[in-house]
Amino acid sequence: MQELDLSPNDFELCLKCNLCTTVCPMMAANPHYPGPKQAGPDGERYRLKDAAFYDLTLKYCLNCKRCEVACPSDVRVGDIIQNARIRFGRQHNPIRDFMLANTDLVGSLASPLAPVVNSALGFKPVRLALDSLMGVDRRRVFPSYSKERFSSWFRKNALPRQARFARKIAYFHGCYVEYNFPQLGKDLVRILNEAGYGVELLPEEKCCGVALLSNGFSRQARRQAESNISAFRKALSGGAEAILTTGSTCTLTLREEYSNILGMDVSDVASCIHLATEWLYGKLESGEISLKFKSLGKPLRVAYHSACHMVKLGWSIFSIEMLRRIPGLQLTPLQPQCCGIAGTFGFKKENYDYSQKIGLSLFDEIRELNPDLVATDCETCKWQIEMSTQYSVLNPVSLLSAAL
Amino acid sequence: MRFDTVIIGGGLAGLIVGCGLLEAGQKVVAVTRGLSLNEAPRNRFISLGGEYLPGDSVLPGGEWKNDRLLRVYTRNLGKTPLEADNFILSTGKFFSRGLVTSMDSVREPLFDCLVDYEHDRSRWCTNEFFDRQPFEDFGVRVDDRHRVFLEEGRIAENVYAAGEILAGQIDIEESALFVCKNLI
Repeated sequence: MQELDLSPNDFELCLKCNLCTTVCPMMAANPHYPGPKQAGPDGERYRLKDAAFYDLTLKYCLNCKRCEVACPSDVRVGDIIQNARIRFGRQHNPIRDFMLANTDLVGSLASPLAPVVNSALGFKPVRLALDSLMGVDRRRVFPSYSKERFSSWFRKNALPRQARFARKIAYFHGCYVEYNFPQLGKDLVRILNEAGYGVELLPEEKCCGVALLSNGFSRQARRQAESNISAFRKALSGGAEAILTTGSTCTLTLREEYSNILGMDVSDVASCIHLATEWLYGKLESGEISLKFKSLGKPLRVAYHSACHMVKLGWSIFSIEMLRRIPGLQLTPLQPQCCGIAGTFGFKKENYDYSQKIGLSLFDEIRELNPDLVATDCETCKWQIEMSTQYSVLNPVSLLSAAL
Repeated sequence: MRFDTVIIGGGLAGLIVGCGLLEAGQKVVAVTRGLSLNEAPRNRFISLGGEYLPGDSVLPGGEWKNDRLLRVYTRNLGKTPLEADNFILSTGKFFSRGLVTSMDSVREPLFDCLVDYEHDRSRWCTNEFFDRQPFEDFGVRVDDRHRVFLEEGRIAENVYAAGEILAGQIDIEESALFVCKNLI
């Protein structure tokens, strides 16, 4: 008789067909990693009997979710692995991982000192020290910090004119736009205002927490998640039509990881959280908004990279269709493959070589194509591609804004 | 999102139809649960300009006008439907859930197409394990153009079946090429 009805993430539906194993980018690069089937649903059966069956090599999982995309039985393989890591994983370098994962803390300390911090992070002795003392690989290029935070810019420069718009959305800018690259947020505000929508900030915003989740700080991730969900509810009941983001991983984390990994009930807000390009596509198609785009210089050859989480969401097609609206833009969608950085993963000394090995075929494909620039919806993919190739990477939102 | 043909089920049959239609100049999208192993036909499909949506599934029902399918919705695309002149149903058999069974019935889960199967449950299998089993021949009934039946006597005007989902002993490639010829 079945005594326990346990099938979180549908792990009992796994038929052990191994399709997930054939698409795992880490498996191909790292012989120590057992692969998604064994790390996920197969291993779960053992872990349920005894925690000693937890395999420490699960730390190599990139959380790219390609296993979930490939699964014909809808088993949430990636989520099973993440949940196991949260339950049984060990932190080998907690101070480093805390610094990498706490983007709000580090960002708010680094931003006011941006010029100094940026120089320091580019200074070889500093990088060597970070490498030997903290285990942050010396070859990894850090994104630069912005002296002015996005939210400060917004309150000073954009907020006053937002009142003239009858319809509005709330923008979840995320830690990247806030502390590193406010220009992307400025670009979104421009597009939305042009489309007749006002933009408001959330009453309070914290980093979505994806790095906290993967680095073993799930309690803090949960606190931040609860704060964010509460802010979303306030914004939506205050008249915002949607919560928009400009980062693919933020979108996935807010819409799916909060419920699948943290077990929160976000059913009232999840469907209101949208990636900007996906939302704009829908509004343009329905005729609710209209936007005119002009050429950015003929022909502008752009290679579009599908970030892993975009493939999981299934929303690359929206970004691609939006970019195709720009006249004179010659868009080549690259073969969807993992760039290798997987957020904070690729900063760690013990992972760096695997990250670069995984991304190699993507970098080669880009070089072969030799585009004018690369477009992608994920900021960590942007850092990885810019570091590993000579090409500039822009979010589609920035290209669309430039083409207005 | 508008296409000439929407392929529901991007396995071998769906991809063969897709490649043929792309070569004939059509705008084609293929939606597929998971990501089947057919790397070569899939790469060809994509390089010919086909849109490939893996890890997604078409939601049951769709929107019809009389017996003509107008659009389908998918789990990932939310409010954005896939609209087309023609639809290919190439969702496979049991493993890929092109056909869904209960203890004594077999159904096609997306549009409830007419399925030809042995109604006497005791005759689904033979005693010889390695013989061809009767259930291997279950599948949707089609007309001479491979269009599916919505019920006895009612043909879905623009929904064509290819591959394992078909009743009988099927040559996947042959059925796919036949459907393709019908549409160009």
